[in-house]
Amino acid sequence: MTFIEVVFVERWPFWAGGVVIGLLVPLLYYAFNTALGVSTGYGNLARILLPSRRLTWLQERFKEAWGWRVYFIGGIILGSFLSARLTGAPLWTGEMGVLTETVTWSGPVLAIYFFAGGVLLGLGARIAGGCTSGHSIHGMANGHLSSVLVTLFFLVGGIISANVLRLLVLGGGSG
Amino acid sequence: MSKKLGFLGFGLIFGFALSRVGASDFNLIYFMFTGVDLTLVGVIGTAIVIGALGMFVLRLRGAKTAGGQPITVKRKDLKRWSLLGALIFGLGWGLAGACPGTVLAQIGEGKWLGGFTVLGMIVGTYVYAHLKSANPDI
Repeated sequence: MTFIEVVFVERWPFWAGGVVIGLLVPLLYYAFNTALGVSTGYGNLARILLPSRRLTWLQERFKEAWGWRVYFIGGIILGSFLSARLTGAPLWTGEMGVLTETVTWSGPVLAIYFFAGGVLLGLGARIAGGCTSGHSIHGMANGHLSSVLVTLFFLVGGIISANVLRLLVLGGGSG
Repeated sequence: MSKKLGFLGFGLIFGFALSRVGASDFNLIYFMFTGVDLTLVGVIGTAIVIGALGMFVLRLRGAKTAGGQPITVKRKDLKRWSLLGALIFGLGWGLAGACPGTVLAQIGEGKWLGGFTVLGMIVGTYVYAHLKSANPDI
């Protein structure tokens, strides 16, 4: 395997992804004195897409609707797009792993399912004050106890819902 | 370098890495939470260790940015409802098979169902904005 194939075509070993993602924490501070975090950017998107005239939090927290977080989000989409193109993955797919392999739900039901998951993610992240990147990676890398506790509850929630999904929808097997 | 362009570049690296390591794969999240495959725990764990080492190096160098400004690390303190929010977030993480970063990588990879997760996240954030108007402590 050539170097090009290892970096741009093959799936990375877990530690390589961890190293690159982990380095973002100090690099963002070094370049812009900014904490790594993704979920707050959805506030920018809400501010751009939905009426917010009477919502003080959206108005003040996201004064600049098209702030750097929107560009960060755009960059993530662009980076994963390039990654998929280099591996020759299909441009467009309704695939979602074992879920779409197992269930016979129609498109709208799948759409509602993922929309509902998204509502929980968006609401939960704002109440918790961050997500996997802001709390689990940035917060824990900086030794913040609050982020350790929040991450623990992230995991508890995920273990509950994934196992409910396993037992009720995916037939109870472990895959 | 403009901050926006810089973040476009950092996002590009982030999205590329998430996609490369399979974090945008529904199965990897589902199998992590059902205890079948802990690859993602390894990714997050490595990222925490490397992030901590990098922050340590920055502190050794005087905790200054490239432009010479002092670095200020903000702690996300626990509020009254934080852990409940974390639990809600976790439920969504397990159902959608994605978190706020990896769902963007799903979209980049053309997994269009992730687009509904993103729409849900925008609405969930909007619901929070309404709750915040009613109760500033949340």
